[in-house]
Amino acid sequence: MKAVNKEEMFPKDPNKTYSLMAIVDGETFNVEKGPEDTVQSWPHLMVRELALFLLVFAVILGVSLIFNAPLEEAANPLHSTNPAKAPWYFVGIQELVSYSAFLGGIATPALIVLTLLLLPYLDRNPKGTGVWFSRDRRVATALFTVFVVVMVVLILIGQFLRGPNWHLYLPWS
Amino acid sequence: MSETAYSLKESIRHLPRNIKESIIRRGGGTAEQERAAAVFGNMFLHVHPVRVHLNSLRAGYTFGLGLISFYLFLILIASGLLLMFYYTPSTELAYRNMKDLEYVVSFGVVLRNVHRWSAHAMVAFAFLHMCRVFYTGSYKAPREFNWVIGVCLLLVTLFLSFTGYLLPWDQLAFWAITVGSNIAAYMPGIGEKVRFLLLGGNEVGQMALLRFYVLHVAVLPLVAVVLLGVHFWRIRKDGGLSRPLND
Ligand code: HEM
Repeated sequence: MKAVNKEEMFPKDPNKTYSLMAIVDGETFNVEKGPEDTVQSWPHLMVRELALFLLVFAVILGVSLIFNAPLEEAANPLHSTNPAKAPWYFVGIQELVSYSAFLGGIATPALIVLTLLLLPYLDRNPKGTGVWFSRDRRVATALFTVFVVVMVVLILIGQFLRGPNWHLYLPWS
Repeated sequence: MSETAYSLKESIRHLPRNIKESIIRRGGGTAEQERAAAVFGNMFLHVHPVRVHLNSLRAGYTFGLGLISFYLFLILIASGLLLMFYYTPSTELAYRNMKDLEYVVSFGVVLRNVHRWSAHAMVAFAFLHMCRVFYTGSYKAPREFNWVIGVCLLLVTLFLSFTGYLLPWDQLAFWAITVGSNIAAYMPGIGEKVRFLLLGGNEVGQMALLRFYVLHVAVLPLVAVVLLGVHFWRIRKDGGLSRPLND
């Protein structure tokens, strides 16, 4: 038989002027406000997620009841539309292609994708993380904004200001 | 100890309760434990942590943009599966199927509209989500690789949308894909070959329609699901969403 070594869980320290008196059943101060400002995912996070899903679904359904997706005549390989436009998200690239086929159609998109892929390995300073438009990241914010604005402007030009033969056209003419 | 009676009668008497308990594997406990178990005891919810930081819940921090992109993806899967019942990837039939959706199938127009508008929205929201991640500096260590996964997701989203664009086989689809695939042909040296590989020929035709269809309904959705799995898993492993450093 092994001797059971009975050890006091909270041994009394002769130097201590206080001791454990009792353990009371109850909730700690951290209930519903866990360590490091966290809360239970259920229900706090998931109820919001569900609400957002319902909102997205309702909006898509509403839009779909009002606006019909475009459907033109059946495809005819012998009769090209003029202008022939790429889907809107590629119209910016198509606009660049109209300036230079290789530079606009291949080099620029490749450069954009490569830069995006390498970005987190080039810009490593953790300052300003977790803050919108942090003052510590002014240069990065400015550069990215230029990129976004240029993309949007190119798409707008390609989509709305280009008519037959890719000539500049004003939307109302 | 009392013997549990495993009689058939008992089994039938407790059938509803036993079935319910076998599905939602849940043990009792305190209310707090019960709520935690509701998350990690459920396969569909366990991608979530049991607790989240308050900053991740701030609507003004994420604007829910990534989540909206994901929801649009789910809507696209559901509506796309339904569309597959009515669609044939043939240059003879594809356009007629579109007309049938419009005039013959009940709610066919709405179904097609839902799929089309969600697709456009997903491209836009994935891009907006990328902007949010950039402007909050959320790609900094340890989240570098999740940004890379994100860029791949954006490319897959674009390509999914592009391959779907051809399927209605109308003038808009045909000439948009002709223009788009011509851009690939500008690649020095291999351009023409890349376009041939994509279209299964030198022009947009039956082979191109079939290739785009297979990419659109099988290959790319599968790639997207895998990348999304890694994306969400990495959010957990990187310690949840980013937040200010001193927090
Ligand atoms: C198909 C497209 C995408 C989906 C469905 C998606 C989904 C999500 C979701 C649900 C989150 C959680 C936070 C939130 O809702 O904002 C998230 C976070 C994140 N996403 Fe995406 N994402 C997509 C594309 C992208 C892209 C294009 C990028 C960047 C190039 C990206 C990079 C990230 C990063 C770095 C995080 C962590 C953010 C943080 O810690 O604050 N994702 N994504």
